[in-house]
Amino acid sequence: MGEQPVAITGLGVVTPAGVGVEALWEALRAGRRHTRRIDAFDPARFPCPLGGQIEDFSARKFVPKSYRKAVKVMARDIEIAVGAADLAFRDADLATIGTDPDHPALPKERLGCNIGAGLICTDLDELGVALTTARGEDGRFSFAEWGAGGMTNLTPLWLLKYLPNMLSCHVTIIHGTMGPSNCITCGDASAHLAVGEAARLVARRGADAAVAGGAESKLNPMGLMRQTLLKRVAASWDGDPAEACRPFDERHCGTVVAEGGGLLILEGLPHAKARGARVYAELAGFGSAQDPAGMDIESPNAGSLHLAVRKALDDAGCEPGDVDLVVTHGTGVPGEDACEARAWGEVLGDAAADTPAAAITGSIGSLFAGAGGAELAAAAMAVHTQTIPPTVNHSAPAEDCGLRFLSEPTPADVRVAVSAAFSVGGQCGACVLKRVEP
Amino acid sequence: MSGRRVVITGMGTINPLGHDVESTWRAMLECRDGFGPISNFAAATFPSTFAAEVKDFRLADHVPDADRHRHAGRHCRFALAAAVQAWKHSGLGDWADLDRTRAGIYLGSGEGSLDFDNFTNTIVDAWSEGRVDTVRWAELAFERMHLYREAEQESNMVVSHLAGEFGLRGPAYNVLTACAASTQAIGEATLQVRRGDADVMLTGGAHSMIHPYGVTGFNRLTALSIRNDEIHTASRPFDMTRDGFVLGEGASILVIESREHAEARGAKVLAEILGYGSSADAFRITDQDPEGEGAAISMRVALADAGVSTEEIDYVSAHGTGTKQNDQVETRAVKSVFGERAPHVPVSSVKSMVGHLIAAAGATELITCILAMRDGVVPPTTHLQHPDPECDLDYVANAPRKVPVRICMSNSFGFGGQNNTLIVTAGEDL
Repeated sequence: MGEQPVAITGLGVVTPAGVGVEALWEALRAGRRHTRRIDAFDPARFPCPLGGQIEDFSARKFVPKSYRKAVKVMARDIEIAVGAADLAFRDADLATIGTDPDHPALPKERLGCNIGAGLICTDLDELGVALTTARGEDGRFSFAEWGAGGMTNLTPLWLLKYLPNMLSCHVTIIHGTMGPSNCITCGDASAHLAVGEAARLVARRGADAAVAGGAESKLNPMGLMRQTLLKRVAASWDGDPAEACRPFDERHCGTVVAEGGGLLILEGLPHAKARGARVYAELAGFGSAQDPAGMDIESPNAGSLHLAVRKALDDAGCEPGDVDLVVTHGTGVPGEDACEARAWGEVLGDAAADTPAAAITGSIGSLFAGAGGAELAAAAMAVHTQTIPPTVNHSAPAEDCGLRFLSEPTPADVRVAVSAAFSVGGQCGACVLKRVEP
Repeated sequence: MSGRRVVITGMGTINPLGHDVESTWRAMLECRDGFGPISNFAAATFPSTFAAEVKDFRLADHVPDADRHRHAGRHCRFALAAAVQAWKHSGLGDWADLDRTRAGIYLGSGEGSLDFDNFTNTIVDAWSEGRVDTVRWAELAFERMHLYREAEQESNMVVSHLAGEFGLRGPAYNVLTACAASTQAIGEATLQVRRGDADVMLTGGAHSMIHPYGVTGFNRLTALSIRNDEIHTASRPFDMTRDGFVLGEGASILVIESREHAEARGAKVLAEILGYGSSADAFRITDQDPEGEGAAISMRVALADAGVSTEEIDYVSAHGTGTKQNDQVETRAVKSVFGERAPHVPVSSVKSMVGHLIAAAGATELITCILAMRDGVVPPTTHLQHPDPECDLDYVANAPRKVPVRICMSNSFGFGGQNNTLIVTAGEDL
């Protein structure tokens, strides 16, 4: 038996634009921007004190009552994934024991899960409360004092808050998914790779459906500090904070860290059709590749992005000329934008200048392992609504950017959309979405 | 199973028992252990003061140009050395026709180690009125912290270093499903080759959590043995007196490729990967499902994938951590899958000797399966003196056993309930 086609039937998105895919899509259509000065902590000494924050969000609203206590052991990344999973299953109208305990739609071992995650940042205050109890005679922190008792001031489950597989684990527990469960940790490429892998799982009938994507928050001191050291943030921007993240724009000067993610429900197309599910698009192709220069993290690492995109197009049975929309990764880091634009040019050739493109980072900032989840959700919405969203903070293209971004939401015949991302480290993932004719 | 057949053509390992495959295997057959007082940091006051550390390791002894990887973290160095061994073993290094766009990497690598002193002291020094003053913290952090120490902590960086070392451009992933990661990586890499997305994959895992916060985290979970006075017998999988695992570190890497690719270049085939299963307990983040239903699903899926019956399994490499819960649950799961065959199949845990390499554990254990098939010897579970009535399988207690081994099952179960199973063979039909 060959592979079955895979449908995207649910979208669960939590981003600085708000909770739910509608909030993201509305923000993109309306050209709203959600990056601003961080107030989750005092960022005064950071060269780029800007971020994309999710307002008024807690996973408590998205878990069964009996599971609310567990929210205490969820890092922010996990909370985002848990929220996105609930939204995605409900959006797909695919009941689980989490959304409808008595009437799950599928046998539990036929549901898979693959959620991309990053290096989860430690809550400094939580650790600090315990660390500051362990001082030696000189008043300095002492590992000897820490080992002898200081560590007992840390909650016993502390480690479990920070394991990247816990995004998947909490989701599998809440929704009762006992099928294959994976957790891809490949930086910004994580969600594309997780979705691609989950699509393969459903295609080969290893599961009837899967929840897949990614979530991350670097909107905290450690996360922002690391991105600052990597010189990825818009440190030289002194204009309106909402205009700081400028994908492929001539004034791009770095990205803006944000928190968020997106999860997709992938389902066998025959299964989706049989139950009368809304199909956003077919996840028709996937490709992965590695930049062999990826260990040089001070240079952009998108050197194999074109290979991943070509593989995804081949996998979908598409030619470069078939592409109606490119959803870029568009971090707004000048070197990365240039490297990414070259990759798209290499794949699309002369068509690059005519193929509409979109970047969502100007609106919401960088979501890292969560980015692909939101990017793929935007691509699915574009295919579903036959509308290409505008790209904000892109007023004049950078010299080496040959892509065509739009300034207004534009009705279009979007049959094939391609979305791709690459990590610091050089992993590249690409997905091709196709419109499903009713 | 459908798609191309997938074979193993190279293996390499750096672990507490040895810095290569053969010395590791000899140590296991001699029932030696890799345990000692922790030297990676000052652990004398910690609840657990010992671990299974990799000793006397220098990357330059293994890699032609170690300086290229000067920023690599500890576990990444282990992975590079293990990968160079595996690559040499496979003969791919001498094969000019390798299409590097069809050669990928799928690892189960852990996060890199924190910059402990700077990380810790920055928090403590910026502490003010019951919280971190992030203004002061940022000032100190930018003075003290280093780009590479921070960036190399992302767990995908091991993939990036291996890609750089071998110039690979094929599919590339890292999975971090805790203690099951490298078993899952090998399973997923197998699927890449089966489907034709790659001809060759470097796969396996690397991890080191023998550092202040790793030991803190596991000690707080009461997962580690605290037998500080009986270090060498502290890891006691399936024994009544077991009190937790011994934390290890290391890397094990395999080269896998399609059978046709291996044949075309005349490579020596070490084993074939027949089946892979993955599941989730969907139970609790802190406990395993006491009935082991998730673990059983993983084993059943792998058996079905391999087209192999439990009668044909000659050896089960257990997850066998030596925690109270794991060993009972695992025993129940094996019994539910193997039924009447359960008491007759040898099941052993090499964690009794090598320790628990966390993300790297599964790949290390799969290598021992391949050697068990090659030599017709099953490695033992050591320090099993007081059988637990709840653990009543044949654990190959305390001495290796000579027995023909044609097909093996290797199990790994991660914290949080992710289960993975591989089935491999070294039968005559390879």
